Amino acid sequence: MNINIIAFGQIAEITGKRPAAEATDTAMLKAALLEKFPALGQKKYAIAVNKKVVTGTVQLNENDEVALMPPYSGG
Amino acid sequence: MDNLNPRYARHYSLEGFGKEGQEKLTKAKVLVIGAGGLGCPALQYLAAAGVGTIGIADADTVSITNLQRQVLFGTDDIGKPKAEVAARRLRNLNPGIEIVTYNTVVTNANAWDIIEEYDVVIDCTDNFASRYTINDACVLLDKPLVFAAIYQYEGQVAVFNVADENGNKTSYRHLFPEPPDPMEVADCNEAGVLGVLPGVIGTLQATEAIKLITGIGEVLANRLLTINLLTYDTFVIDIGGQAAIEDKSPADRAAFEAMDYEWLCGSAVANVGTLEAGIFKERVDDEDTLVIDVREAGELPTADFDNVNIPLSDLNNGIPDIRERNIILFCQSGKRSLKAGQLLSEHFGATKNISHLKGGIIALHENSHE
Repeated sequence: MNINIIAFGQIAEITGKRPAAEATDTAMLKAALLEKFPALGQKKYAIAVNKKVVTGTVQLNENDEVALMPPYSGG
Repeated sequence: MDNLNPRYARHYSLEGFGKEGQEKLTKAKVLVIGAGGLGCPALQYLAAAGVGTIGIADADTVSITNLQRQVLFGTDDIGKPKAEVAARRLRNLNPGIEIVTYNTVVTNANAWDIIEEYDVVIDCTDNFASRYTINDACVLLDKPLVFAAIYQYEGQVAVFNVADENGNKTSYRHLFPEPPDPMEVADCNEAGVLGVLPGVIGTLQATEAIKLITGIGEVLANRLLTINLLTYDTFVIDIGGQAAIEDKSPADRAAFEAMDYEWLCGSAVANVGTLEAGIFKERVDDEDTLVIDVREAGELPTADFDNVNIPLSDLNNGIPDIRERNIILFCQSGKRSLKAGQLLSEHFGATKNISHLKGGIIALHENSHE
């Protein structure tokens, strides 16, 4: 199943801007990314599916767009 | 055309804005917390636009490394309080408005009384302890909050505590319920920032504040805008549509004021002292004191005082015997030294007097250039 992942900020520094992973829900996606990029283990990030922030585990469908958004702190 | 101030002629003639919009600005009270990269442009445009009362809160003084992006300050201002310098510049820009300065850090001890006085709050701070403090106070006081944060070439902007078309309100905690570990987030000091980035993002904050006050357009209520200056890619996500999340915010003023935000955001650790650059320089030569550089071997700049190098990565594998009673830790920005302090404190308990250099060797260098 194809999912389009877009990473931002320090997450993108670890995973690249467009990482690829196989998953049918957001929990699986996080686990798959963590296995591929262990450095993600210490990072907090919000997940937006098709431009809506989601919490908990949400099912993913073909061609969903998943954004990984870390908090920025600079001012 | 009586009672019209020629200063605002281009607002009066602007369709959809006019005299009404200008009057709303004149009556508005806006608080800008942080007069740095984001705060400088936001303040300039709010003052120029004629916002009747502008509060400026910042405890910092101007340093030479600020001047690359903090456009309210000049070389002559180095060492002077940012809030005072900014106020002087803004009074010159627009003598017809009231400027109130708070030469202090906004903490949960003073946030309530300060924020209560204003209609709109703009978060231009650069650290999570301040961001969560301001967020929680604005939620409890039901104040519109214009949030922004920056990282290298990218900025985030959002408007919180403002009802969207469905009547929903959200806060920063709907996006990030809890602060990240300080070790995982780099700040401008460490990660660098394109000087013009806060100029763009702070100007967007002023735009959102003016839209909120005058009721024009659509503000970013419950939406987070991310913009990348290298590509002009913009990305807007909806924060409001989700089910209720686990709420970690304080329930009332008493709970808010009892919360330890420095600890929550990992910017303080129990039993590890915090040394400002000036004090640090006095203490490094004290008797019975070991100064430890916890950076990796070879990191620059080198220190010009006696120290031993024990990288944090080594301390993670085991704590060596230390004879001295006083241990002072430093690193590049103050994050790794705080983490090292925590490890040493867990190992030695009260048998050692442990402290670390706040802001790291970067702060030390800036201090000596003031």
